[in-house]
Amino acid sequence: MLQVQNLTRRFGENTAVDDVSFTVPSGKMTGFVGANGAGKTTTMRMIMGVLTAQAGEVLVDGRPVTANDRATFGYMPEERGLYPKQPILDQLVYLGQLHRMSQSDARSRAQELLERFQLGDRGKDKLESLSLGNQQRVQIAASLLHRPSVLILDEPFSGLDPVAVDSMVELLREHTAQGVPVLFSSHQLDLVDRLCDNLVVLQKGRLVASGTGDELRATAPRRHRLTVSPDAGWVREETGVRVIDVAGRDAVVELDNDDDAQRLLAAAMTRGSVHEFSRIRPSLSEIYRGVSQ
Amino acid sequence: MSTETAYRQQQRGPASSSPSGHNPQPAWLIVTLREVMVKAKDRGFAISTLVTLVLIVAGVVFNAYMSTRGEEYTVAVSSNAGESVVALAHEVGQDDDGNTAFETIATVSDDAALEQVRTEGADAALIRGGDGTWTLTGKNEVPRGLSSGLGAALEAYALESNAAAAGTTSEQLLRGSTLEESLLEGNAENQAVADVAGFAFSFLFYMASIIFGMAIANSVVEEKQNRVVEILATAIPVRQLLYGKVLGNTILAMIQLALYGGAALLALNLTDTADIIGSIIPASGWFMVFFLFGFLILAAMWAVLGSLASRAEDLTSSSTPVMALIFAALGAGLFASGQLLVIASYVPVVSSVAMPIRMLNSEVALWEPILSLVLALAAAVALLHLGEKIYRRAVMQGGGALTLRKAMKLEQ
Repeated sequence: MLQVQNLTRRFGENTAVDDVSFTVPSGKMTGFVGANGAGKTTTMRMIMGVLTAQAGEVLVDGRPVTANDRATFGYMPEERGLYPKQPILDQLVYLGQLHRMSQSDARSRAQELLERFQLGDRGKDKLESLSLGNQQRVQIAASLLHRPSVLILDEPFSGLDPVAVDSMVELLREHTAQGVPVLFSSHQLDLVDRLCDNLVVLQKGRLVASGTGDELRATAPRRHRLTVSPDAGWVREETGVRVIDVAGRDAVVELDNDDDAQRLLAAAMTRGSVHEFSRIRPSLSEIYRGVSQ
Repeated sequence: MSTETAYRQQQRGPASSSPSGHNPQPAWLIVTLREVMVKAKDRGFAISTLVTLVLIVAGVVFNAYMSTRGEEYTVAVSSNAGESVVALAHEVGQDDDGNTAFETIATVSDDAALEQVRTEGADAALIRGGDGTWTLTGKNEVPRGLSSGLGAALEAYALESNAAAAGTTSEQLLRGSTLEESLLEGNAENQAVADVAGFAFSFLFYMASIIFGMAIANSVVEEKQNRVVEILATAIPVRQLLYGKVLGNTILAMIQLALYGGAALLALNLTDTADIIGSIIPASGWFMVFFLFGFLILAAMWAVLGSLASRAEDLTSSSTPVMALIFAALGAGLFASGQLLVIASYVPVVSSVAMPIRMLNSEVALWEPILSLVLALAAAVALLHLGEKIYRRAVMQGGGALTLRKAMKLEQ
């Protein structure tokens, strides 16, 4: 389990990350979202020790992270790039060795990862000769090479085609299945919905939400969909009901509690037929949109 | 124990085990080996090294050929006296270095002698005028070796015949005129060798400093520009990355230097000119040591320059101070003498060239190079330390190129 506690980082006058705390549980994928400039990359760089935190700390399994721990982390920085003029396999082996792998182990593992990305026969090619998408795959291989104990991935899916996204997802799931905590940032909310067990939302350097999907949904406003006939216009007059949207027979309303819901349903039944009355389960991306407004 | 810890332990043994894990090699060594391998596989580097090697060997062979090649002059004469002068010149030429020859073409008249020159049968015609003056006539030039050889022979010939006419001998006339030349330190022949060796030292240092210094700077800026350094920095301490680079390129520079030096010595041996190199061997040994120390200082500077730049293009403008230092070393090797050279021989980096040159030129007490080396070593340690600080801060910094002042203020 990876814990971030009260991390703070200022650049001159600007506080990029302000007292941010959250947890990345073992074996779970945690999505890290927020607008550009929200402080995601700065937080990830502090987790990786590339930037020094001015306050707060990072814990692994409850104890402060060390350089040796970090050497076992897998990291994909925001700005991509390996050695453009070096053969792919050579540089992966080099990175593996720096991550304490033996040369032969690094070589076989690199080859295995390249094959999973359909790049098995291009090991001797220079990185720059690959398409951008394929360079991205090599970058992913570099972060997974040393069988990391924690994965910190900054925008790992940007620039990948759907097939590559699927292989990446499969690879990440293999890691979470083995208990690895994965933190990844993304602007692709559909992917966040599809992949994440947890969500951490930053806004202007501050944490605005974090937790599992269920936890976040529990704190999200209660919304219900109501479909009645002949017309739903009357809901505007009901007390304790905030109308989000009314169109003909359909209404989306926000309610404070279950009692209000029961009262609304009873009122609807006295006014005509009720075709649908259901609680709306927000997606993580809707929660994100909600908290970052 | 959490699932995650279990996974990590299954992957790499107990968490308390040393960071070396599977791989016993220290990180700086892996970096060093990579620097060497990447450069060794670089075709451009291999070709330029090979071309330089060929040039060095060719230079030595050409030099040897030029120094043993005989000059042969043919001189048309129209008198017995002329014939004697040429014969005397030939004798002296053979005695002197054994490879200057004068051949006589005897003709019946002055005109016939000039005709020989005109038709290129002879290099020049030696003619005695009616008033006893001699004229040496060439077609459009008189080779310098020819005129000086014949001039000396003519002087000797005239001295001999005038002495005979006065009833004495040339030896008697010249008695007491011999001037022996000697040097308090070294000898004349060594001086010439020292000049050549000094030039070679200066130039080798200059070349290696730029080639391998630039290689370090480029290697640093490449990793910075491509952000690989962020991945590297999470795997190993940035200090080890810096040391690995400096060491790798220093090894390459030393190997190249040894190759060039070895090729030059081998070529000198094969061309039988080896007898002159005995005097430069000790200085060359010192040069290797000074080269190493001086290069370490420059390497630290180049690494800092690389870390301050944001793109490889920035290097050309930011490298001025280091280039100035390298030029100072080159200049000291080529031009400094006397007190200036003595001072230069204690200034780190410049001393890499200046001290070996001093040792070639004159006797230097043993403590002097040792003191100079200690100074250079202290400077190298200080600069590597400082370089590491700046490097660590600057190399993670994105955006534009940094100044030294800005880099020092950066927080990591």
